[in-house]
Amino acid sequence: MPVHERGYTHWQPSGLHADPAWWVIAKRGLVGPLKRRWTLMLLFMAWVPAVVKGGIIFFKAKAGQIIDLAAGGAWTSINAAGFLAFVEGQRFFVFLATVILGAGLIARDRRENGLALYFARPLGLVDYLAGKSLIVLGGYLAVTLAPVLVLCLFAYLVDPEAAGLELLVLTPLRLVVFCLLAGTGIALVMLALSSLATRTVLVVVWWTVICLGGDAVGGIGEAVGVPGLQYANFLGHWHNAGALILGADQRLPVSPWASLAICILVVAGSLAVLRSRIRPVEVVT
Amino acid sequence: MTADSSNLQVEHLTFAYRREPVLRDVSFVLERGAVGLLGPNGSGKTTLLRALLGQVPVRPGQVRVQGHDMAHEARLGRRSLGWMPERGGIIPGLSGVALTAYLGELSGMARQDAMQRAHEVLHFVGLRDERYRSCETYSQGMRQRLKLAGALVHDPRWLLLDEPTSGLDPGGRVDMLDLVADLAGRKGLGVILSTHLLADVEAVCREILVLREGRLLDRQPVAGHDRGGQQVFEISGFGGEEAFVEALARLALSVKRDGRHITAVLDLDTLPAGPGNPTARAMRAVLELAVACDYSPRRLRRRPVTLADEFHALVNPEAR
Repeated sequence: MPVHERGYTHWQPSGLHADPAWWVIAKRGLVGPLKRRWTLMLLFMAWVPAVVKGGIIFFKAKAGQIIDLAAGGAWTSINAAGFLAFVEGQRFFVFLATVILGAGLIARDRRENGLALYFARPLGLVDYLAGKSLIVLGGYLAVTLAPVLVLCLFAYLVDPEAAGLELLVLTPLRLVVFCLLAGTGIALVMLALSSLATRTVLVVVWWTVICLGGDAVGGIGEAVGVPGLQYANFLGHWHNAGALILGADQRLPVSPWASLAICILVVAGSLAVLRSRIRPVEVVT
Repeated sequence: MTADSSNLQVEHLTFAYRREPVLRDVSFVLERGAVGLLGPNGSGKTTLLRALLGQVPVRPGQVRVQGHDMAHEARLGRRSLGWMPERGGIIPGLSGVALTAYLGELSGMARQDAMQRAHEVLHFVGLRDERYRSCETYSQGMRQRLKLAGALVHDPRWLLLDEPTSGLDPGGRVDMLDLVADLAGRKGLGVILSTHLLADVEAVCREILVLREGRLLDRQPVAGHDRGGQQVFEISGFGGEEAFVEALARLALSVKRDGRHITAVLDLDTLPAGPGNPTARAMRAVLELAVACDYSPRRLRRRPVTLADEFHALVNPEAR
C-alpha cells in the first residue's frame, strides 16, 4: 500500500493544557543532558563540597561548637557571607555545568539551521531566549543554590538555636535573589558567546578563557599585588557584586559597585549580541 | 484582489537585504491547492517563503495568513503554516518521534497531543518503523520525510515546502511527490512548492508563480493550460546561421541559439494559410527560410511547448 494511502487525519485538540514554548525549550534542554551519565557524575561531584560542609556543621554541632560557624565569612560559616564563600568556591563546577549545558545551545541551532526551524513556529525571540537561558540557569542553580539551600535547612535542623530564623528565612531568600541574578547574567553571557559561533568547541575555548583565564589573571594580580588585574576576573565580579545583596565583605580588591556596573554592562552587551545574532537565517555550510 | 475570502494574501511586498532589493512589489492571493514557486537562483523564492512565515520584516507591503497580518500577528499566522526547510531542519540527539513531538509542542500542542500526533504523521510519511531511531542516522530520503512530518505535526492549513525532493533518489522523489499531491489534492491543504525541478511542479501543482529578480513575473495554471497552436522546433545545421536566425525571429514567437543548436517557438495559428496541416506548413516555412538563407539543416525536430520552455522564456526574455 502506498504510504499516502495510510491516511492523513486532521488533528483534533484534546483540550489538554499546552506548555508555553519557553518551558518546552527549557525542559528539553535540561532533561536531555540529565540522561547522560557524565552529566550526573558532574552533579554528584559538585555536591561533594556541600557534603563536606554538612559534615563540618554536624560535627561542630555534636561538639557544641556550632556557634563558631555562625560568625565570620569563612567557607564553613553558616551565615550569608559563609554561603557566598561557598558559592564562590563552586566556580569550577559553575564553569563545567554552564559549558556542558550552554556551549552548544545556539551554536548548534545556527549550524543545523535550527533557528529558522524554531521561528517557523508560533514563538518569539523572548520565548527562545528565555527557554535557552533557563537551561544554563538550571545548571548553575543545581551546583550553587540547591546545595546552599539544603545546607541552610540542614544547619537549622541540626541546631535551631545557633543561627535562628535568619538561617531559615532571610539568608536563603538573599541567596535565592543573588543566585537567580548571577545565574541569569552568566547564562546570557554564555548564550551570547554561543550565538557568535557555529562550532561548540570554539565556545568552549572562549568560555574557558573568560572564566578560568579571568580567574587565573585575578589570582596573579593578587599574588603580585596588582589589584587592577582583578578587573579580568569575570566570575569574581558576580561574587563581589553579590556581597551587596548578602551583606558580606567584598570578595575582590575592587568596589562591589564597580563589579555590579561591570556585570550590568556585560549583560547589556550580551543582550545586544543576542538580539543581533539570533535571526532565522539559513547558515550555508 | 479580495482580502477576506483568501487564505494567503501578499500585497505589494517589498524587501531589501542591506539595501539590496530581494522582493519588489510582489502581490498575489492564494486559495487552497498546490502552487509551484519557480525562479532562478537568487530570484527571491526562499525570501518570499520567509516573508510568509513572518521571519523577515514585511513592510512596506502586507502578508496575511488566514486573515492574520504577519507584521503584527506572526504567531497566530504561523499556527496555520507548516514549513519544510531545504537545509537543516533536524535537531541532533533526538529520535524521529521525539523531534516531531517537540516541534508539535513548540507549535502550541499539549505534550500528550503532540506525542500522539507525532506517531500519526510519522506513520503517514512512511517512517513508522524508524521513528525511534536517532534522526542523525537517517538517510537523506528519511530526513526529507521527517521534515515533512515536522511540518505536518500541528495540522497546518498551508505547507511551505522548500525543495522537498532535494537529494532524493528517483523512488524517494516519486514517494515524496505522491505525499504532497495527496495532501493538496485530497486532504485539502494548501501547498507552496518552491523548487528548481519543473517536473516536480508539473506532477503536483495546479498553477505556478514565477519570480525573477524579486518580481512576480507570471502566474498561470499548469495542467490544462491552453498553449494554443504553439510548437517548438529544434534545428541544428551549418551555413548562414546568422541570417537564418534573423529571418526565423521574424516568423517565430521566440528564437534561442546555443552554438549550432537553434530553438524556435512558432505559433501555428498565425502562419500563412496554405496546403497541408499546420505542422507541415510550419516545417515547410522553416525549411524555405533555411534555403533562402543558405543554411543547411542537419536536424529538424518538432515537439509541444512544455512548462520548461515557458519558464525559460519568462526568466530569459533576452532569448527572444
